[in-house]
Amino acid sequence: MHELSVAQSIVDSMREQVALHGGRRVLRVGVRVGETSGVNAEALEFCFGMTVHDTEFSGAALELERVPVRFRCEGCGHEFAPVDFFAGCPACEAGHGRMVAGDELALSGLELEEGP
Amino acid sequence: MTERVEVRQNVLKENDRIAAGLREEFARRGILCLNLISSPGAGKTSILEGTLQAFRDSGRHAAVLTGDIQTERDADRLRRYGFPALQITTGGTCHLDASMVSRALSGLPLDGLDVLFLENVGNLVCPASYDLGEELKVVVLSVAEGDDKPLKYPGIFRRARVMLLHKVDLLPYTRFDPAAALADARRVNPDIEVIETSCLGKPGLQQWMDWVEARLEEKRQLHR
Repeated sequence: MHELSVAQSIVDSMREQVALHGGRRVLRVGVRVGETSGVNAEALEFCFGMTVHDTEFSGAALELERVPVRFRCEGCGHEFAPVDFFAGCPACEAGHGRMVAGDELALSGLELEEGP
Repeated sequence: MTERVEVRQNVLKENDRIAAGLREEFARRGILCLNLISSPGAGKTSILEGTLQAFRDSGRHAAVLTGDIQTERDADRLRRYGFPALQITTGGTCHLDASMVSRALSGLPLDGLDVLFLENVGNLVCPASYDLGEELKVVVLSVAEGDDKPLKYPGIFRRARVMLLHKVDLLPYTRFDPAAALADARRVNPDIEVIETSCLGKPGLQQWMDWVEARLEEKRQLHR
């Protein structure tokens, strides 16, 4: 529901990174969106398009990597994809899983036009 | 030719930066800051009314920043207990963010404050993503809602330190299964603490007040 402000934050970070890299054009920006991050990927794509429209980032592609929820067993260290957050470890059947992925909302990288 | 630049940072890093500053200020002043999150109508404001009433009786000092899309109603309700309460009207935004809190704080006297309550906008989704510099998040789930909320909205139940299972005096009139809600909350967050509360009937808010006192005591020990 707050995808527009998320899109604006992404664009702010792009602007910062571009300044660090000699003002080159951004072709792609990668963002990791966890399944439980509360961000809707389609809405974010839509808002990103609106945010970069008629700016120096117009034409930059937003590449979303959806990150599923993963648990790691506190007992045996096994990592698994839980069904409905059921935390019982399917490997050792004794341990309890803790979430290690799935709530991130993070920039992963930029693809820039090669410098002169 | 293109070049790939790796960037590892949170999208909401500007919010996180402001929140870190707030957290530092709360720590320096020894203020316990609690971020209350629930769906609309779960009872956050009523719980705060009861809490402020109890604080007035025990001599604690509290302040509230309360967020809503529109109206000053909650702040008006909360000011009746003699503590400062400011309304943050977000004008459509579905959550409080750290910069809103930071701006509103300039209008609050912070000296001698024991607890600052941040009453978030009623919403179980977006507020979970925004760090407000609080010490911990409190999620309120009322029994007039479904007992499957923890699995439907795992983000907030995962990040909350405590869940107030609220309006339990209404349990006889609902199909809410407290054991199921508790089990689901623990699936998402094995460490979550649960306190049953109600504002109009039993058990009331005493156990919640004891819990807040315990957090204040922890803080005092740390500050020695």
